[in-house]
Amino acid sequence: MFELRSWKAKLGFTVLLLTIAFFLFFPVYWALISAFKSNQELYRLDPTLVPNEFFWGHFVSAITDGNILLQLKNSLLTSTSSALLNASLAALAGYSFAKFDYPAKKPLMLLILSAQMFPFGVLLISIYPMLQAVNLLDTKLGLTISYIVFALPVSTYMMYSYFKQIPNELIEAAKVDGASNMTIFRRIVLPISLPAFITVTLYAFMWSWNDLLYSMTLITSEENRTIGPGLLLRYINENNADWGGAMAASFLAAAPVVMVFAILQKQFIGGVTSGAVK
Amino acid sequence: MDIASRKTVGKQQPTNAKGSLKRSDRRFAYAILVPAMTAFLIMVAYPFFDAMSMSFFQYTIYDLEPIFIGFDNFVAVLTDPYVLGSWLTTAIFVVGTTLLTMTLGLAWALLMYQDFKGRGVMRTLTLLPWILPSTVSAFVWAWMLNGKYGIVNVMLLGAGFIDSPIQFLSEDIGAMLAVILTRTWISIPLFMSFFLAGLQGMDYQQIEAARIDGAGNLRIVKRLILPHLKPVFLVTGALGMIGNLQQFDIIYALTGGGPVRATSVLSIEVFRQAFENWDLGMASAIGVLWVFTLMPIVIFYLRSLFKED
Repeated sequence: MFELRSWKAKLGFTVLLLTIAFFLFFPVYWALISAFKSNQELYRLDPTLVPNEFFWGHFVSAITDGNILLQLKNSLLTSTSSALLNASLAALAGYSFAKFDYPAKKPLMLLILSAQMFPFGVLLISIYPMLQAVNLLDTKLGLTISYIVFALPVSTYMMYSYFKQIPNELIEAAKVDGASNMTIFRRIVLPISLPAFITVTLYAFMWSWNDLLYSMTLITSEENRTIGPGLLLRYINENNADWGGAMAASFLAAAPVVMVFAILQKQFIGGVTSGAVK
Repeated sequence: MDIASRKTVGKQQPTNAKGSLKRSDRRFAYAILVPAMTAFLIMVAYPFFDAMSMSFFQYTIYDLEPIFIGFDNFVAVLTDPYVLGSWLTTAIFVVGTTLLTMTLGLAWALLMYQDFKGRGVMRTLTLLPWILPSTVSAFVWAWMLNGKYGIVNVMLLGAGFIDSPIQFLSEDIGAMLAVILTRTWISIPLFMSFFLAGLQGMDYQQIEAARIDGAGNLRIVKRLILPHLKPVFLVTGALGMIGNLQQFDIIYALTGGGPVRATSVLSIEVFRQAFENWDLGMASAIGVLWVFTLMPIVIFYLRSLFKED
């Protein structure tokens, strides 16, 4: 797009590229190598760019000294189930909005989308006593259900936009063959919408995996603690901070999402941007 | 599109009475809405109205039952310098973060639109800050900005910009800078993706024609690209402001709202009132102020989303 014939243009382009790239990527690099430095090498006023010696101690202590594996398991359980639950609800609602016509359609759709207007923190004020009343406070089930608020509006819209693109002829042909609406949805619409379904699941998974506010408030016992608050409670004390351990534990906490994304990133980013701006 | 589809269905199935088919379709359409609607009503609508009504009650940990006090909470909120200060803090955080994110996100999208070796890898890597858990991002930046061994201080000292390390997280302005910087870092990937999607919808021949007319790089950005992206700016700007107005995790993990109240935005204030002071009435009243701040932006966003349909 840009023409970089003159040295001035080339220089300008390169400088801008390197500056922003440095801002975006260096922190990740720095956190990563800090996890591999021994304390002696970590706390120096002339830090090394590459560790003199790769030190695994922080990873060992991150895993053995705390409950990080249990917390990862809890996070995986709550995030996966809430993501699947969210994607299923969004798929059903999105299909209804995309392929049927009824008077209440637009207001109902607006209602679900407007959920973005309600700050999560405000909802939490009532969700907390509500979960308490039905004995779901400090349970993984309670947290899983509460996570629906995060992703449902955008997920529904993303599924809606995808279903809109499915040609009506496909559905009509099946109808002529005598297939019921439910059969059409399950046998025809869902299979061809699998990419969108996966994108939405991932989107919701990310919301819950990265959450701090709800998991910190709604979970109070060590046994149900998820990774976000787990990390914070363990390493937050600034005075005797264990930065090597914090970086190693961060690496372990980020690894699952990063791996899933490495595999699925291409379709994912397309799905999210089309859901939001088209 | 939907009306047309129903018409053809009716035509293709003359054996079915048109009305009954419509009715069964409609019943199905409502039935599959039920799960999402139920979740919405229980987890969003009810909590919302419950919180709104709680703002008219005195309800703290010492009260067995909520006591109706009318507008007293609102009077307290609107005359409390802390709450108004928190609103101002929120405004600074939201405006600062959104502007910085959009500027850097646009610059990065333009760079990533250019064809060069290694672009694909860079685009993929860009997503990294976005997918990291918020606690992790907060840790990464807290370590970068550490008052003694932080690499930012080391670099600034080394370059001679400062004489003694900056205590980022324990100074008012430093803490605000830290949360804005961290939040911007997290948001750039998504905004780059939005802008890139907008750029890919551009008519490339227009750019080439302008080139033939002798337009330079900057002129093409100013005259062609920026006007083309204007609708994207509006929507992403609204989206960014909604997200930043809701932001809690990064600020809480990085500064806890401090030092003292320097980064205590509305989300932190509501959290403190509700889950540290256990004053649900006050928390709800601040929540109302928060919702009214968000509402115009959400309405603008939803309207622009629906305009194209």
